[in-house]
Amino acid sequence: MTSVRPSAALQPPADTRRIGRIRSETISTAAIFALTIILILASRFVSPALGSWDQVDTIITLASFLIVVAFGQGLVILVGGLDLSIASMITLGGVLATTWNGSLGSEWVVIPAVLILCAGIGALNAVGVIWLNIPPFIMTMASGIVVASAALGYTSGTPRGASPDAFLALMKGSVGPVSAVLIFVVIFVLLACALQSATAFGRRLYAVGANREAARIAGVATWRPIMAAYAISAVCAGFAGMMLVGYANGATLRMGDSYLLPSVASVVIGGSSILGGRGSFAGTVGGAILLTTLGTVISALGMDQGWRTVIEGAIIVGALLLLREDLIARLRNRSAG
Amino acid sequence: MSAHADAAAASAPGSNFGIAIRRGLTDGAGVVAILYVILFALYALWDRSALTVSGVTDLSNNAAPLAIAAAGESLVVISKGFDLSVAGIVSLSNVLMATYPVEGPGGALVSLLICLGVGGAIGVLNGILVAVLRLQSIAATLGTMIMGQGLALVIMDAPGGTIADWVSYTLTDVLFGIIPISGLIVLAVVALWLVFRRTDTCMGIFAVGADETAASLSGISVVRARFAAFVGAGLLYGLAGFMLSVQTATGNPSAGTPFLMLTFAAVALGGVSLTGGRGSLLGAVIGAATLMLLQKVLFSGGVSSFYTGIFQGAVMVLAIVFGSVISRLASTGARA
Amino acid sequence: MTTFRKLLMTTCVAAGALASACMATTSSASADDAKKFKIFLSLSYSGNSWQSEAANIVKALAQTPPYDKEVELKEVISGTDPQAQIAAYESMIDAKADGVISFPISSTALNRTVKKGCEKGVLFFMYDATVTEPCAYNVSYITAGFGENTAQALVNALNGKGKIFLSRGVPGNSVDKRHTDGAMHIFKEYPGIQVVAEYYAFWDDRTTQQETAKALAAHPDVDGIWAQAGEFGAIQALRDKGTRLVPMTGENSNGFRLALADPEAQKNGLKGVSAGSPPATAGYAFKLMMEILTKKRDLKAMNIQYPLPWVPADKVTLCKGDTFEDGCNTFPDGKVPSSFVTEVFSPEFLPELSLKSALDGAPTPGKTIQPLPAEVVKAPNEPGINCQKCDPPADLYKLTKIEPTVKP
Repeated sequence: MTSVRPSAALQPPADTRRIGRIRSETISTAAIFALTIILILASRFVSPALGSWDQVDTIITLASFLIVVAFGQGLVILVGGLDLSIASMITLGGVLATTWNGSLGSEWVVIPAVLILCAGIGALNAVGVIWLNIPPFIMTMASGIVVASAALGYTSGTPRGASPDAFLALMKGSVGPVSAVLIFVVIFVLLACALQSATAFGRRLYAVGANREAARIAGVATWRPIMAAYAISAVCAGFAGMMLVGYANGATLRMGDSYLLPSVASVVIGGSSILGGRGSFAGTVGGAILLTTLGTVISALGMDQGWRTVIEGAIIVGALLLLREDLIARLRNRSAG
Repeated sequence: MSAHADAAAASAPGSNFGIAIRRGLTDGAGVVAILYVILFALYALWDRSALTVSGVTDLSNNAAPLAIAAAGESLVVISKGFDLSVAGIVSLSNVLMATYPVEGPGGALVSLLICLGVGGAIGVLNGILVAVLRLQSIAATLGTMIMGQGLALVIMDAPGGTIADWVSYTLTDVLFGIIPISGLIVLAVVALWLVFRRTDTCMGIFAVGADETAASLSGISVVRARFAAFVGAGLLYGLAGFMLSVQTATGNPSAGTPFLMLTFAAVALGGVSLTGGRGSLLGAVIGAATLMLLQKVLFSGGVSSFYTGIFQGAVMVLAIVFGSVISRLASTGARA
Repeated sequence: MTTFRKLLMTTCVAAGALASACMATTSSASADDAKKFKIFLSLSYSGNSWQSEAANIVKALAQTPPYDKEVELKEVISGTDPQAQIAAYESMIDAKADGVISFPISSTALNRTVKKGCEKGVLFFMYDATVTEPCAYNVSYITAGFGENTAQALVNALNGKGKIFLSRGVPGNSVDKRHTDGAMHIFKEYPGIQVVAEYYAFWDDRTTQQETAKALAAHPDVDGIWAQAGEFGAIQALRDKGTRLVPMTGENSNGFRLALADPEAQKNGLKGVSAGSPPATAGYAFKLMMEILTKKRDLKAMNIQYPLPWVPADKVTLCKGDTFEDGCNTFPDGKVPSSFVTEVFSPEFLPELSLKSALDGAPTPGKTIQPLPAEVVKAPNEPGINCQKCDPPADLYKLTKIEPTVKP
């Protein structure tokens, strides 16, 4: 057969798109950060001191705890679960770090020991979820209740001890004009995003979350990523507890409670699906910062708490409406055209 | 020939009963009912007053609000969603009832309609946000929950108000001397469910929860099914707020906050799958009753306060394991 | 099938073990109970120092002779759900309790159950938080005017002019409302005082620190802070920003009192008063209840006022030992955490206590129960706090601890 070069008329048109298509996840993450910046700038109307670098620094410091916790929660949600024990794990991490600090050895022994204990409890959660088929909601809720009770009994109600120096330095110190927390947050976010989105481990998490059966057939030992996710979540929560202890120089027994719902909210507002398999940590970070900023701006409003709460809820719904999928898709299609 | 034999065997009354038992056990409601009976037996063993009319009435009054809230939540969970607005609607309806008490049985009806109206309105809002605008249910209902709680605070900034006497005295009382009225109201909700279960809308809710794509390809309107679930749930939350006001006889702007975790725990305990498509409202109701009974059982068993939390967690886990064991046994037994 | 049988067996064994563990943790033989008073300590919220110290004080007193032979005390923690506390009260009434000493989670939701209990002869003593049910005894400092007195102290320190923060408690709570209403009553008299930020800190140190940090971001030029419990967090937030401190009033945490007395902090601008809720109230309520039960006192149900502690900066005195001797009222740094609430002792009402009682619930060796002073101070009527259908006195917000030094 003679090889016939197809005539020019039959060749497909050259690809004239100058830029690659931007993933919808990137757009939604960018949208969240844009919303946050708008919120910060708009808060100038509430008070002239807002909208400044000082406020941003405060927000990042206050959001740091939520960012760390939301990473762990995000991994568990990614594999299709839910971790309700993080409130108690935050408390456990903080309480043990102060109680054992000095009495059980130097803090460089105590801190890893506590984190390993947290990982163990997270692994127990995973055992219940994977092999005993207990729904993650119940398993993590039950382990949370048990850990909280144990902490109450162990400390007789008053946790004693001072924060480990490492965390005092982290939360109160600064490197030049920049606070240490800010540097930590940036490093943590970069490492965590890389872990979730750019490693084989991360890909396995996505695979297991999207379709566990398919992942199993594809050769992934599904229990390993799931157990790792729960263990990392518990470790993140314990670490966040130690950060809180460094911030306030002391632990209290219910200090994790106010981070449970916001951790789930950050993950979901950040674009991850509650059913698993989709989402990125960058979006979660955006969600965490947006929620913290919203709280800051709301508390600066000079009105009754009731109305403040209503506005907070309305802004959340508004943000969700702006960030929703079909809007993002339309934006993406328009940008690639 | 074997087909005839099978048919004959299947129509024999004994095996029908066996099949019914097995189906009851594999359905989550049956399992949690067994758990409830066991716990109640322990409770009666340790506390004589469990079997008196006043004891049963107390249990019923205590469990009714959570049971009805869990019933509403199960509708949404079956449709593969999460409804966090239960906390806001319960607070709001409680606060409205306490701020605008209306006397007498007619007044009770007016208050009930107000609660249902509030719950239904927020349910419609949820439905629009989730079913029509396709927001994630957990995030959208978080927003509406916060708005509901805020409105409750606006209406009443500290606990107080009064609930009409007729509501708080008569509705916590007993009928014919032995049947608690709150229990009758819960039974009415269950009866409504048993009727609703046979309607197309309910089938749609189950189908959408099980597999949304398949459901829409089969011609089921996904939007309408989800919308119905949220509105139904909202109405039930309003009723739960009404029953809470009946029991506490007071208004409290944070009345609904404890309901958030407890409702989901009751739903999960009742065998409703949190991934959608399976379960029964009856299971959620019994799950709620079990949670409230657990506190009493632990108290009468003399469990000291430090261990209470540990026991609660352990019992919840054991209950689920027990349930899945029973249902797996029953289903393998059916196949054998 | 065999795997499932194994699983079934394990579950049954586990359930059986659970049930027997239940029986094992039941308190000892019921034969002795007939002679002892059955007292239940009903807590709702349980996660902070204040609650634990109050509960520990009651537990310590119950183990101090002669009560150790006369009282069987059981602690029940219900959590923040009012229905759980209702169920707990009902169980206690069914268990034929002689007395219930409790921190009620709601001032109104428990009334019906309390009334049922009173009709069955159970004594209900509420400490710190109150209920509006007339048959219950309320023992609390709430009516002693924390809000208005501390507000006046702040106004005096600011000479009647300045921007202030209001650090409140829990939204929708009657105690928070009473304190804030009292404070605002005073602040409104001074047009020079401007409330630039008002936030809810949930009576928690760390939340106060976070909320104050947010408020400072918006108003870095604040002149003073009026705080309910958690006040040490506000000082931490100020210290996070720099060295400048401002006049502040707060409750009784050890950290706050140490800061008030610290010369360095005073140089940086800290002045103020430590007043607020004393956990000792629980001990006082318990002893009152026991005196009625042991027929040493005859008292009908009433609302009793516990004196408001009042420690200005110059009156802060460090304790050398483990009790309040020689008029000391603060513990040295490191002996207790900064969130420890110091008002756990009262040489007048509770001489039987030491630090270990508050920290661990242990009785003090060698001490026996001392009788309380005969006189009890009746609390004024405050609707929504300790009575339902009543009118507050005309001088509801009168100042009892301090005089204004500045004219409005």
